Amino acid sequence: MKKTLGAAMLALTAAALPASGAFAQAAPRDTLVALRSIDADNYDPHRSTARSNGEVMYMMADTLVSLDWDMKTVRPGLAESWSVSEDGKTYTFRLRRDVTFCNGKKMTAADVAYSINRWVDPATRSPVRWRAGNVKEVRAVDDYTVEYELNEPFGELLYQLTLFFASIIDKENVEALGANFGVQGFNGTGPYCWESWTPRQQLTLRRHPTYTWGPPIYQNPSPQVERVIWRVIPESNTRLAALQSGQGDVTQYIPHIAVAQLQRLPTVQVTTQPNYLWDYFFGFKVDKPVVSDPAIRRAANMAVNREAVTKAAFFTAAQPMNGYINPAALGYSAEASGLLPGHDPEAARKLLEEAGWRAGSDGIRVKDGLRASFTLYGIQDQVNRQIAEAIQADLRRVGIEMKIQLWDATVAWGKLATQEFDSFIMSYPYVSATDGLALYFDGANRPTPNRMNWNDDATNAALRQARGGLTQEERNTAIGQVQRIVTEANTWIPVAHENLYLAASQRVQGARAHGIYGVALYKGLDIRLTR
Amino acid sequence: MADIGASAAAVVAPVPASMPKRPGMLRRLVREPVAAIALAIVVLLVLVALLAPWLAPTGPFDNDLSVALSVPGTEGLMLGADGQGRNMITRLLYGLRATLMMGVASVLLGGVVGALVGFAAAFYRRIDGLLMRLMDMLLSFPAILFGLAIAAILGPGISTIILALSVATVPLMARIVRGSAMVVMRQDYIEAARATGMSDARLILRHLAPNCLSPLFVFATLRFGQVILLGSALSFLGLGAQAPMAELGAMASEGRDFLFFAPHIAVIPCLLIFTIVLAFNLLGDALRDALDPRLRV
Repeated sequence: MKKTLGAAMLALTAAALPASGAFAQAAPRDTLVALRSIDADNYDPHRSTARSNGEVMYMMADTLVSLDWDMKTVRPGLAESWSVSEDGKTYTFRLRRDVTFCNGKKMTAADVAYSINRWVDPATRSPVRWRAGNVKEVRAVDDYTVEYELNEPFGELLYQLTLFFASIIDKENVEALGANFGVQGFNGTGPYCWESWTPRQQLTLRRHPTYTWGPPIYQNPSPQVERVIWRVIPESNTRLAALQSGQGDVTQYIPHIAVAQLQRLPTVQVTTQPNYLWDYFFGFKVDKPVVSDPAIRRAANMAVNREAVTKAAFFTAAQPMNGYINPAALGYSAEASGLLPGHDPEAARKLLEEAGWRAGSDGIRVKDGLRASFTLYGIQDQVNRQIAEAIQADLRRVGIEMKIQLWDATVAWGKLATQEFDSFIMSYPYVSATDGLALYFDGANRPTPNRMNWNDDATNAALRQARGGLTQEERNTAIGQVQRIVTEANTWIPVAHENLYLAASQRVQGARAHGIYGVALYKGLDIRLTR
Repeated sequence: MADIGASAAAVVAPVPASMPKRPGMLRRLVREPVAAIALAIVVLLVLVALLAPWLAPTGPFDNDLSVALSVPGTEGLMLGADGQGRNMITRLLYGLRATLMMGVASVLLGGVVGALVGFAAAFYRRIDGLLMRLMDMLLSFPAILFGLAIAAILGPGISTIILALSVATVPLMARIVRGSAMVVMRQDYIEAARATGMSDARLILRHLAPNCLSPLFVFATLRFGQVILLGSALSFLGLGAQAPMAELGAMASEGRDFLFFAPHIAVIPCLLIFTIVLAFNLLGDALRDALDPRLRV
């Protein structure tokens, strides 16, 4: 009944929508209309880390290397091959010779050196400069050879270079546009070229006619659609209706509750990416009263029914986490995941009793005059609210009180950088176990993004090894050690691995969800329109 | 200068003290069928809210995620369950309680402060101009803006909403009370009382205030409906009741995400808000008619 009603309502809105002016025109011929919920503030790979920037950047620009659908294998991109020196400090990339920018200029090693150097230049103030490693120098040896020299080995480098921050840009374009680079125009080597941008409405890209250097993960290395329009529709039901009525062609922004219904509709094709690395977790500030007690954190982990919470917040669109890292990710340790306590409220109550937390008159436990009560901060959205309230109810059942304080996205990041809360809820994309855990558990990353205030010598040492180890095996052992330490300390309550879905209208062929940095369309290749 | 600011006061003239106003008032009120129904609904809502802990089938925070989003009519869940699998009946009962409490507290707090300002302005003419300009300043801010500003300073919460709504009620009440108090101030019995050497406080309390009560009641009743609506709007924006507390506006906001798939979560609280506001508005109108001596037959 519930499902039929939902589908009927969806269909109804779709039918009602064409009459409503703004979206009245159907998607134009030979133009792919991609729908999304939010725009980026600019399209400069070094000045915005937003996923909405990445969506367009991957289409307008290329990176030296690309990432396969398995999220583990690095494939050629602008570099056709590369080698790593024995000490792990120097990477030599040999570039393709046939690459040109949208304005026809040939792309050479000098452009690569310029792009990476601009990224790591402190004056650029890229928030993700660390992702490039501890760069000593990036230099053009000749027109088609680049040497990328580091001060210390960085095993993650090739993965980091698949991210859009490492996009190759054109120096003349940057200098000509100044502060308006990525606002008024962008000259890249990607499969699609910048045509126009109306902020918060739409960004239009046109096919790069000479483009033949797409990553080998695609069947056809050239774009087959004349235009791509990235259109912003903030309201999720309107977005879905636009997709169904043919005013949009693809979107990855599907409300979780609608996924199952959408999969049943014959007019919409939904693809998914099993190796999608975007996790929701709940972190404790380990040096704040109440949550500094390991017994509270362990009991909280046992009190929460991850499976039920995941189903309530995501319906069918996520898997409960059984460790700190997705099993599909490079560096995942099954052994460490085994240390995560399972759902057992009875054992949680027993643990709290043994630790001296006795039930108070209102059902909330007390120890030495301290109430088992703490606050949670997070960004105000439907998923976070559902997760937080479900966890709140689970914790109350074992005698722990959690006060929820969700903030509007405009102030949330500032609030989440303070020390005024005891726990927080967060979601994030990552490329590997080391990528994710180094971000959150490195003592040097306090107070943000290491909002746990976790500063442990053993963790820091293992992270150094995980980043700097010369062999993959060495790095895996080290990051496995990190997973063991933080799992045993119950620094998080891991919640859910979100699934990625890409919904496409009937006329779209070849759309497949990729999911690098949360971006489903990636380079936008192999996509064809039948009408 | 316009002495009387809000519409309610313009219609309701103060009742002279000599006229008996208690007897017959209730009877006049319920003579109108609409008013009788409104009064019955108000009494019923208040009773239900007061008795919520005894009427509710489950505890206010009891959840069962396995029945989340159940539609009305599901076994054991007459009005269905919300996104957290909490019984909608329980949530509505506690939500009604919180919403009515929010309304009562805002009208009481804002009303008392406003009335004091109004009496002071009417009684001490020297500070009248100053007080009324202050009230004008307050009047020029929309209540929603107040709510946003106060929430930014104090953080969201039901007390934030009460404070915002109280502040928004003060100038309206002050203007109405001042208007009717100025009329009463011109009455002979005030002069007589003053001649006996009565203190200012006693004069205000014993003679001035009781004779300004009827417009004040009418306004408070009408204002109650507006306050519930405004408060629900602020709650809807996430400034009010924080999880897991139930509040009708916040429930509507939660349900918005499921509007296509489980419309009952948003629709039922909205219907309840609608009923409350309508009942109080009708009651306010009826009270005004009943208390207006010019309409007395």
